[in-house]
Amino acid sequence: MRGSRATDSPSALKLAGLLTGSVQRTAACALLTLVLPLALTAQTVNFSREILPLLSDKCFSCHGADPSTRMAGLRLDTREEATKPRRGKAAVMPGKPEDSLIMARIAPANPNSIMPPERSHKAPLTAEQVATFRRWIEQGAAWGKHWSFEKPERGAGASIDEFISQRLTREGLRMSPAASRETLIRRVSFDLTGLPPTPEAVAAFVADQSPDAWKKVVASLLASEHFGERMAMWWLDAAHYADTDGFQADSNRTNWPWRDWVVNAFNKNQRFDQFTIEQFAGDLLPNATPEQKLATGFFRSHMTNGEGGRDPEESRIDYVMDRVNTTGTVWLGLTTGCAQCHTHKFDPITHNEYYSLSGFFNSIDEDGHAGPGKSKPYLKYSSPYAARAIAEAKQLVDSRKPAEAAARSSAEKPFALWLAAQTKEVQRGFRAWRNLRVTGLESAEGTKLTQQSDGAIQAGGPNPVQDDYRISATLPLRAVTGLKLEVLPYEGHLSRGKSGEFLLTDVKLQVRKKGNSQLRDITFRKATADFNADTKKHGGYGNITDTLDDDPRNGWTTIGSAQSAVHTGVYALAEPLTLAPDEEILFEMRHRSTTGDANIARFQLYVTDQPGPAVESVDTAPLEQLAWLKAGEVTPEPLRQKLFEQFLTTWQPYLAAKEMLDRATRQYDEVKAADAVNVMVLAERPAPRETNVLLRGVWDKKGEKVEPGIIAAIAPWPAAGYPEDKRDRLGLAHWIVSRQNPLTARVIVNDLWQIMFGAGLVRTPEDFGLQGEHPTHPELLDWLAVEFMESGWDVKHMLTLMAESQAYRQRSEVSPELQARDPQNLLLAHGPRYRLASWMLRDAALQYAGVLNPAIGGPPVKPYQPEGVWEELFMGRFKYEASEGPAQYRRSLYAFWRRSIAPTFLFDTAQRRACEVRISRTNTPLQALTLMNDATYLEASRTLAEQALSLPAPQRAAAVFQRVLGRKPDSKEATVLQREYDRVLQYYRKSSADAGLLVKVGQSSSKASSPELAAWMVISGMILNLDEAMTHE
Amino acid sequence: MNNELIRRYFLSQAGGFSLGAIALAAMGGPARAAEEPRIGLPGLPHFAPKAKRVIFLTQSGGPSQLELFDYKPGLMQWAGKELPDSVRQGQRVTTMTANQKQLVMPGVTKFGRYGQSGATVGEWLPHLTKIVDDICFIKSMNTDQINHAPAMTQMLTGNQIPGRPSIGSWVSYGLGSENRNLPDFLVMLSKMQRPSDQPLYDHYWGSGFLPSRYQGVKLRNAKDAVLYLQDPPGLPRTVRREMLDGLSELNQHRLEQTGDPEIGTRIRQYEMAYRMQTSVPELQDFSKEPEEIFELYGPDSRRPGSYAANCIMARRLAERGVRFIQLFHPDWDHHSRLPSWCTARCRDTDQPSAALIQDLKRRGMLEDTLVIWGGEFGRGVAGQGKWDSIEAGRDHHPRAFTMWMAGGGVKPGMTYGATDDFSFNVAENPVHVRDLHATVMHLLGIDHERFTYRNQGLEMRLTGVEHASVVKGILA
Repeated sequence: MRGSRATDSPSALKLAGLLTGSVQRTAACALLTLVLPLALTAQTVNFSREILPLLSDKCFSCHGADPSTRMAGLRLDTREEATKPRRGKAAVMPGKPEDSLIMARIAPANPNSIMPPERSHKAPLTAEQVATFRRWIEQGAAWGKHWSFEKPERGAGASIDEFISQRLTREGLRMSPAASRETLIRRVSFDLTGLPPTPEAVAAFVADQSPDAWKKVVASLLASEHFGERMAMWWLDAAHYADTDGFQADSNRTNWPWRDWVVNAFNKNQRFDQFTIEQFAGDLLPNATPEQKLATGFFRSHMTNGEGGRDPEESRIDYVMDRVNTTGTVWLGLTTGCAQCHTHKFDPITHNEYYSLSGFFNSIDEDGHAGPGKSKPYLKYSSPYAARAIAEAKQLVDSRKPAEAAARSSAEKPFALWLAAQTKEVQRGFRAWRNLRVTGLESAEGTKLTQQSDGAIQAGGPNPVQDDYRISATLPLRAVTGLKLEVLPYEGHLSRGKSGEFLLTDVKLQVRKKGNSQLRDITFRKATADFNADTKKHGGYGNITDTLDDDPRNGWTTIGSAQSAVHTGVYALAEPLTLAPDEEILFEMRHRSTTGDANIARFQLYVTDQPGPAVESVDTAPLEQLAWLKAGEVTPEPLRQKLFEQFLTTWQPYLAAKEMLDRATRQYDEVKAADAVNVMVLAERPAPRETNVLLRGVWDKKGEKVEPGIIAAIAPWPAAGYPEDKRDRLGLAHWIVSRQNPLTARVIVNDLWQIMFGAGLVRTPEDFGLQGEHPTHPELLDWLAVEFMESGWDVKHMLTLMAESQAYRQRSEVSPELQARDPQNLLLAHGPRYRLASWMLRDAALQYAGVLNPAIGGPPVKPYQPEGVWEELFMGRFKYEASEGPAQYRRSLYAFWRRSIAPTFLFDTAQRRACEVRISRTNTPLQALTLMNDATYLEASRTLAEQALSLPAPQRAAAVFQRVLGRKPDSKEATVLQREYDRVLQYYRKSSADAGLLVKVGQSSSKASSPELAAWMVISGMILNLDEAMTHE
Repeated sequence: MNNELIRRYFLSQAGGFSLGAIALAAMGGPARAAEEPRIGLPGLPHFAPKAKRVIFLTQSGGPSQLELFDYKPGLMQWAGKELPDSVRQGQRVTTMTANQKQLVMPGVTKFGRYGQSGATVGEWLPHLTKIVDDICFIKSMNTDQINHAPAMTQMLTGNQIPGRPSIGSWVSYGLGSENRNLPDFLVMLSKMQRPSDQPLYDHYWGSGFLPSRYQGVKLRNAKDAVLYLQDPPGLPRTVRREMLDGLSELNQHRLEQTGDPEIGTRIRQYEMAYRMQTSVPELQDFSKEPEEIFELYGPDSRRPGSYAANCIMARRLAERGVRFIQLFHPDWDHHSRLPSWCTARCRDTDQPSAALIQDLKRRGMLEDTLVIWGGEFGRGVAGQGKWDSIEAGRDHHPRAFTMWMAGGGVKPGMTYGATDDFSFNVAENPVHVRDLHATVMHLLGIDHERFTYRNQGLEMRLTGVEHASVVKGILA
């Protein structure tokens, strides 16, 4: 595990010379420092690169812009303040390091007076850093802005490769040769579409000798509809899009049309400035189209909290803040959230400016509530992508109906035989319910329970306020489907309490095995009673169903009906229960009501093995009714029908077909609603709200009033061509994408670079501020930013530039020397090599298997997920049912995202709770388990195995290998594959039962099983789990 | 299992696979190198720790200190009267009771004094009374948040907004593991029958901005105790071993070609996954636990997935050196009917919590295991609903509540801090959630101010930017 330490470090590796002395955890970084001492001896000190980061890191927390934490009244964040004379001297005296007070503190004679002080836990400046300071002051202490606040200029250089090579040359390095064509097409396909290339595409590219072969590949990928899906994954993470609200209720929402709008926007290569404007303020555009309004769903993708007891205004303020912080991170690359509570300690964002910015989002016509129908403003939207999904779901239902009908009619014949046999059988008398064979009677609080000769159990002795009765018993029947409780009147009353009414709060059924200390829970499917008291009249008590929920605040009572009559409750088991010879059941009856004094006085317990209707009502079981018929009497049709339904519940061929149909029907019922849905969007309320500074960021601590406004240090208000006084979201959007704004283009091209190279030129894509990292190639970043704006914010153009560069096409293999010298590949002397996003791995597996459903858009789908993961978190409130039919094989982009528990088959994903733009890449055993055992990968392995078997034996291993990795195995690999196949085959030849079990996985389970198929499935799984298979090579 | 044991296991289990076994033994190389327990960050712990591990018994929903711990006999004379403004001092209530009068409801339980320390405990916790001399009550806990999710998020991550690492992730990141077969940070949720109003979000044990390998791993009460742990039907261990051998060999081959050390890590993680497939089911197998253990932890401990069974599991994990063990028991949110609702949760948790302390003590493990019991906030002194009816409950209350800790360098048999006559405000020795965090870190040998992680340009720490201090008064 230690080997991954380097990738765990928060990329805090600044280039040498920029090292600010912050805690550095990795040896890798130390190495880099040693080998790349650039600029330290250069003539002129660069304020922005060399001095400002030091001031920021070491000084600004006490001597920065935030007045609330300022010490000694000293500010070092402006030249004016830093050079202001204080008792004759100044902190910084240009040209006079000896007289500058700052020099006396960062390298003092007396170590006790050193700055930063020890209590700050900041490391003192290194000797080199002190020397840099001295030279800077000697040279006149030139001041400047932080680099990212200066407008980007094109600088000297005409292409990506020129900038990369220049830098490498300075370091005495050069680019690696191009990777193989197989590797290249695989790399660029994942980067631009999130999918691997098809074998045909690989073959065509390898064979294409034309000089523009590569250009054609790039262009065709950018033209693919899957391009938009790939880009949308980036954008959805940034927006923290999900299909539920989050927080307590975590209700479902139907904002997916916005997700499809994003896919479509990227596919049609909408100008990025327009893309931005529509998402900020599509609703404010003249004659806004539904799609332009839909675009604003970006700013409604945050979590919403409808927790009972929460002040909706507090929630509303949270949403406004979320929008400000998201704007900061996604477009400006600034940690604006820091200014929520106080003026930013490092970046030029004041507390007031933060709230001015929030003013743009403060008058949305929302009220802080959450949940379906309560999260206005909505757009009622009919998605063009709904019809396909609905048709697909309906088609599945239709395709499964005949099998159900056939199974039903084919059950008629065996039913007739069964009925004839039963008719004869029950002539001799039939009892559906049999007494339990009681083996032990106990109580928790002291009630004495005794069984009487008629089988009834009588309560006597002490009469505690509350008590649990525990009955141990064996079963008189082989497979028990239900349990019946009869509450019997005793001396005219049903309980031992004053009122004579009983109140049963909960029941529990468990199985105990002799010699085993643990108990097994048996679950009930349903509870039915002959009478349920009105819960509203009796403080929530009444309904027998509530005895199943382990909640003492509700339960079963029969108040309102005669105390002198027997009352009956029937419990249907979720599954038939069969006991092993050394097992017995433990039935617990809890009387734990709030007032108590309502313990049952006398009762009987029975069980039955009758399925279906018999345990779902208190009526006489159908077979008992049959027994009452006279010999030779024709079975009346209603009874015959009841018996047929009962028969079907045990007839396996029918049950299987019915279950398939039911699942498809449930899915169709859900998908149908996609026809027209409510999408949460932005809309202004008629009267704007007043915006105030919130003291320390607390929602109800209002400070001074502010007008909507921007962060002045970034760019002036308004953007060119926009009226000064129109302080609305549209104006904000124009300001964000204004040519005057130095941040947006840089931040976005950095994200695009991250998409293509695995890491940005700024390794902290969320922070371009003073505490963020400096770009590895500042001139290149600026060149790209200017190119982006001048190209008309053309995303595909920028990606084309990157993909066509030599830098991008380098091979990723690395020599030990280079690895030691630049472990983070900051210099790009070789191609980047890193694990692919987990969603790409799943999508790729579907494609390798040939089952990928390439449809675009529509309501979310539910890929395979282990049973119970939603249920256990929500104690059963939400149930996850995997999608059926073609919907199962959609891309991961469309997977239903429950905010409180992200799809389990994904790892290292954004959490979709707050805005995230940085890619997380870890390497854990849990990921290994997922990729080995998730149903999607197992099913893909099986399908790959089937493909293999369709080929002549000698070609099989190479074919699967090539399908997944896009290249042929070398001789060593071929040997290992063959050897492993032979060994696994040997196992499955001996154990064909296991072979049969293994290939059953998934909905598309295999028709034929064979040892060969099982063995190929294992080998295919091994190939899918190869490091290379999950890696951007 | 060390390397040799894996081989022997393989040889003994493999039957017809002897060829594979020989190849395996011959292979050697880094893929086979024995895995060391993952050590923590260099320089940590900062000083000698008192606690080596933590068991956090999280009571989600907010248990009532007024019924369970904080004895206020003087409230009888205030019964039914409005809470004085001088006490309330503008404290928010939730919108559930914002529109009703805040009428004082005295605690509805009888209290007794127990142990040599004379600790006050309400009648609904009879088992806790037996161990009061082993534990330290903090009656002056306070938090900033009045709603569940933000308050629990603050209790577990230091900040009300999701996105920060949970305390267990911090500890896992800083101190690493003592066990190479199990994750450092394991989480268990009680299996309940009724849907809970407060879901237990996975960000409660999330790693926030720390790498995701430090997030808590949920031990589920299901066929797969860890998600995807089980190999599919028809794929026995021998075949999995064979598949992994081939995989390692091919990955090793790739490592030699590319020089990317990440491949070496991947090989080791697959081997760890393989070991977990044995070590986790072994954990879940309670058959070797003697009968007296189940008697100690109470009848519910026989039911897998119950809080009581999870307490036994917590002890088993502690024995195996898991660093941070967190239990969640939901549904303490008794807004109504205290006598049935609150007692239901007491019945679930009282005996097993006390048993865990006794069990650890008997094994000599309490000394270096820190046990924490508590929820995200407490309950208010005003009755919710009609205060003098059996229907009444209590609303959330952040300003004062009780938690208890035991072992791991905490002074036993003491009560720290006190509330005013209404259990409303802290009267002495306040302990904010941040102070609790600082103290837990201190007991683990960590100076919370020096334990930081750089994120978004800031040096982040569990205790955040506001002042937090170690509660010296409870240190043994």
